[in-house]
Amino acid sequence: MADTQGSNRTIVVAGGGMTGLSAAVEAAEAGFPVVLVEREPFLGGRVARMNRYFPKLCPPQCGLEINFRRIRTNPLIRVLTMAEIQSITGRAGDFSITVALSPRFVNENCTACGECATASKTEIPSTFDYGIGSTRAAYLPLPFAFPMRYVVSPAVLGTPEADAIKASCPCNAIDFTMRPETLEVKAGAVIWATGWRPFDTASIAYYGGGRFRNVITNVVMERLAAPGGPTGGRIVRPSDGKPVKKIAFVQCAGSRDENGLPYCSGVCCLASVKQATYLLEQDPEATVTIFFIDIRTLGRYEEFFASVRNDPRVSLIKAKAGEITQDPETGMVTVQAENQATGKISREPFDMVVLAAGMVPNTATDRIPAEVAYDDYGFVTESKTPGVIAAGCVRTPSDVASCVQDATAAVLKAVQACRNS
Amino acid sequence: MEPKSILLEMRDYIAEMGAETLDWCMQCGLCTNLCPWRLVPGETGDAFNVRLMQRLGQVGIEGFEEERVLFACSTCGTCQHNCPRGVKIIDNVRAMRASIVGGGMPPAGLRPVLGSAHSNGNPWSGPREKRIQWQEGLNIPAFGPDTEYFLFVCCHSCYDPRSMKIARAVAQLLTKGGVSFGVIGAEESCCGESMRKLGDEELFQKLAGANLELFASRGVRRIITTSPHCRWSFMNDYKDLGADWEVFHYTEILSDLVKTGKLSFTAGRDGRKVAFHDPCYLGRHGGIYDAPRELLAVLYGKPPGELSRNREQSVCCAGGGGRIWAEVPTGERFGELRIMDAVATGANVLATSCPYCVNMMTDACNSLEKQDVLEIKELSELLLEGL
Repeated sequence: MADTQGSNRTIVVAGGGMTGLSAAVEAAEAGFPVVLVEREPFLGGRVARMNRYFPKLCPPQCGLEINFRRIRTNPLIRVLTMAEIQSITGRAGDFSITVALSPRFVNENCTACGECATASKTEIPSTFDYGIGSTRAAYLPLPFAFPMRYVVSPAVLGTPEADAIKASCPCNAIDFTMRPETLEVKAGAVIWATGWRPFDTASIAYYGGGRFRNVITNVVMERLAAPGGPTGGRIVRPSDGKPVKKIAFVQCAGSRDENGLPYCSGVCCLASVKQATYLLEQDPEATVTIFFIDIRTLGRYEEFFASVRNDPRVSLIKAKAGEITQDPETGMVTVQAENQATGKISREPFDMVVLAAGMVPNTATDRIPAEVAYDDYGFVTESKTPGVIAAGCVRTPSDVASCVQDATAAVLKAVQACRNS
Repeated sequence: MEPKSILLEMRDYIAEMGAETLDWCMQCGLCTNLCPWRLVPGETGDAFNVRLMQRLGQVGIEGFEEERVLFACSTCGTCQHNCPRGVKIIDNVRAMRASIVGGGMPPAGLRPVLGSAHSNGNPWSGPREKRIQWQEGLNIPAFGPDTEYFLFVCCHSCYDPRSMKIARAVAQLLTKGGVSFGVIGAEESCCGESMRKLGDEELFQKLAGANLELFASRGVRRIITTSPHCRWSFMNDYKDLGADWEVFHYTEILSDLVKTGKLSFTAGRDGRKVAFHDPCYLGRHGGIYDAPRELLAVLYGKPPGELSRNREQSVCCAGGGGRIWAEVPTGERFGELRIMDAVATGANVLATSCPYCVNMMTDACNSLEKQDVLEIKELSELLLEGL
């Protein structure tokens, strides 16, 4: 299995989000073989779930597509999806890496014609849409998925539905004999870029503890606004599908808080400012209120913030939002806050409230199987294993552009590890 | 707006009195929002803003010492429990009160309370020797060298006729469960929890000193309290003074007795619907949410009903922080929120496990004229009936 030829030049990249993708193409384009290991059945991670980037407000698909093309046209990159690294042994220049592969039940014959999805009846929550939508048990995770290949959920295994799914495929691509496998990969360096997940705002009791349907998180807002999302890009209330006219953003929902994330993720203010534009563009008569402790739109992003702040439809209220309640009859959600400028306590109802949830590194729970130092929150502070390099949001909360830069920096360290050992 | 003078000496003085975390506050205002005063109308609620009060303290600006503001906090701890910076808000409130009370200026309404605690060792103007009157007709053992637990009965249950039933019920349940316990009696002094929260540090030190000396001389190692306030004070205030003992609320002991089969009840013997109110000092301050619920579940064969705000989000009865002695107009009492909540859930009985809560919620039930549909009971009373 292991190809000894040039094995110590191979760079394994854990995580196929923006950081891992960037690292993979940069390394391969520098002439180093790459194995890209992604847990989900597709590449793109959090970025693939976004509607638009700040501050340019362009969709992330073009950037992703460019990277996918660089992968497709580069024979040095091998992509493993539904795959997770289990162990890393050895040393820089001579690592042995075990990768666990989950069965996709769809082989490379798949032409993404969609017949299997038509034959499938079971609905499963869409992890791509953070559970707000659902997909069939045979599904394409997203319209521009890479690899462009369907997936069948193990939920239907051994049922008549599985037979129907198999029978529907004109290309003989459905294969229920697939089993979990492990794979041994030899490499000279490992770049760990497993990314982040949103803070679980359901742990904040005074914001409803996840009970109120019209209180959503910023990542869900991206899906609501995305043309490929569960509402086709219409920003509507989850409770009744009514268009949102009056929206509130609650900043630092769990962030800068010793009971949640004591740190500032540094991107949520920009995300909310950006998301304000989603609604205002969709409905010129809509209004936006942003409750904040401090607006932290650092560096050159100040201008982007100013453009939104100066919009007369946007109100910025310096207040950490207190209690949020939802009227069971009307679905309106009321935010109670003390305006620090006036000292007045307001209770204002909104159609929908977006909680600006911060970033939790995935390394907070899923550690790197190598000696690495973490801070109290799970971010990697220092690799104690030469040749294992952390990059992107597992190192520090970052926006997309910074992740891409960090990926390039990580590749240089990986190249050094391969060369010097 | 008139100019305000900044008194840096005042700021330093407050910090010295215990407001050590005052400067941690970033003025986000979450405390003010989560404060139970936001749930009721009226002048005090309009005036009391704990964020602003701390701001005034931070920079030593006059205004926090206004009586209606300074003594409004019931120390329920909702703000502190959720504070993003971990500010010890109650210590700050206590220190600000101490800066006024320590200077000999307690509010007029509190003077008889503090005076009684000074002279009688209890805030209820009861003679010291009457401290054991709740025992009448019961054979309560005296605490001695061979007794395992010292039962400390809250002053409220020593002197208030309604509250005495709680002490009697707890003692009978402990006896029934075969617990080795005893009471010292008339020599005991008030734990001083409320006095300290009111800012009378000197009085607290006097009461605590007397208790520390008395308990040590009798060889007290393990304490059972009837009130979660006494438990909290013995565990926290007294620990800082060098106390080295284990402290339990009676619900912890009874819950263990039930689990080990030493105490049992005739389960589900009546059809009453019981809801439970979490006392602040048992729940948020004490971390005990399950023991009373487990006891009610055993007693009624099913878990108790829950109020809409429960456990960590429970709303204060308004009896903490010395507020049990405050005069509050009908319509502005936190206890009324609990009554309305319980009635809305269809409960016939609102159970709790704190004498202050029983006191405040009984008043609220009466003022709302709901006593025909809702009964306020201490958990120990229900358990005694179920033996």
